[in-house]
Order: sequence, then C-alpha cells, then structure tokens
Amino acid sequence: MLLFRSEETVNEWCAANKIPRRPLVSLEQLWQLAVHWYANRLTVESRRPGPDEMVSIFASVGLTGPFWDPKSDQWN
Amino acid sequence: MPDQDLDTKVKLAIYAVTAETGRVPNSSEISRKIDTDEKEIVEAFKRLHAKRVLLPEPGDPTRIRMAPPFSGIPTKFPVEANGKQYYANCVWDAFGIAAALHCDAISHASDGHTEEPLTLEVKNGAPVLKPYVAHFAVPAARWWDDLVFT
Repeated sequence: MLLFRSEETVNEWCAANKIPRRPLVSLEQLWQLAVHWYANRLTVESRRPGPDEMVSIFASVGLTGPFWDPKSDQWN
Repeated sequence: MPDQDLDTKVKLAIYAVTAETGRVPNSSEISRKIDTDEKEIVEAFKRLHAKRVLLPEPGDPTRIRMAPPFSGIPTKFPVEANGKQYYANCVWDAFGIAAALHCDAISHASDGHTEEPLTLEVKNGAPVLKPYVAHFAVPAARWWDDLVFT
C-alpha cells in the first residue's frame, strides 16, 4: 500500500498502472490501524488479529464492506 | 509444547534485535542471541511464516524479508525513531513502527505516483495530520497471496 499527496495522484497512478482504484484511507484512519495492529508487537502477548477481529478493527475506523473482509470470496 | 515456546522466543528475539539495532536479524544472529542451534531457528522461521508472523527472504530461509512492521531490506519508507533508522514495508507499517516502539517517529516517504517527497510524522502518540491518503490496491482476502506487492 502506497502513500499519495491527494486523490488526484492516486487516480493518475491507477490509470498509469492499469490498477483498479480501491478505497482510500486517511492518515488518521491509518494511524488507528497501526496502533491496533502493532502497539503490542514487541511483547509476548503479541498476536496477529484473527479474521473476524480484523473486520471489527476496520469497521471501528470506518472501513466496511467486502474489500476489508479477509474471509470474503468476492476476490477469488 | 516446546515448539511453541521456541517460536515465541524467536519472535521476541527478532523484534528485540530489530528495535535495538534498526536491522532485522538473520537466523545466525538469533541463534547466538538465544543460544539455540541455527537449524532450529530456521525451522522456527518457517513456522512463524505459516502463522503469518514473518516473511522469510524468497530463496533464503535464513533471512527475514518482513517482520511487520519492519522490513529486512531498504524500502521507500525509511523511519527515523529513537535515534535509529528503520525501514517499513509500506505506509501502514511506517506508522506501525512508531506504534510498536511507542515513540515519536518521522518517515521521509514519497508520493507513490509523482515521487514528490512527503513526510509522515508521529509526535506525542499521535500522527501529524495532513491531507495525504493511502491507497490499498489489494483486498484484505488477498494480502498474503503476494505480501511484497501488497
């Protein structure tokens, strides 16, 4: 996942690389995801979120739908 | 279950060395750090890969390509924190390094299309907000199909 100055450069990148435009995530949302995923990564309690937990975390920052569901079969 | 115990020891050692040095260690360094035969460390790397904790370097099971949020190789997301330089795997992981280390951090990144320099910064436990956006090209269901591209 890449960083862009604006939606405009995202669209230019997608067109240039023939990649479908996907959801955009703000820096505030990205920070919240980073905290959920990594705040205890250096500790013995660290573990990767399970699929249902991932959906819940994404929803908590406003990211919903099959794109954010690791169990979705829409992308097979 | 000794294998689980070893896997946890290996995982913690990987992250401890990375946090301390800024560099993701290989199996030889972990072997010395926890005084365990290197062959057992390589097997632990494989199990940790199966558990999606790390990604070994393709073609070299003794090295680690990704111990998220840290990258084992230089990337376009260098992160300065605690007086050291780390490399993140992606923009999410650039913030992830600050979250994992619980410290201020700055990443001199760039626009994914124009390569214009863009700075990401975390101060006092919060991001310095800017109107930048992250684009997730791959849906969550396929992130581990090709983690390097993701």
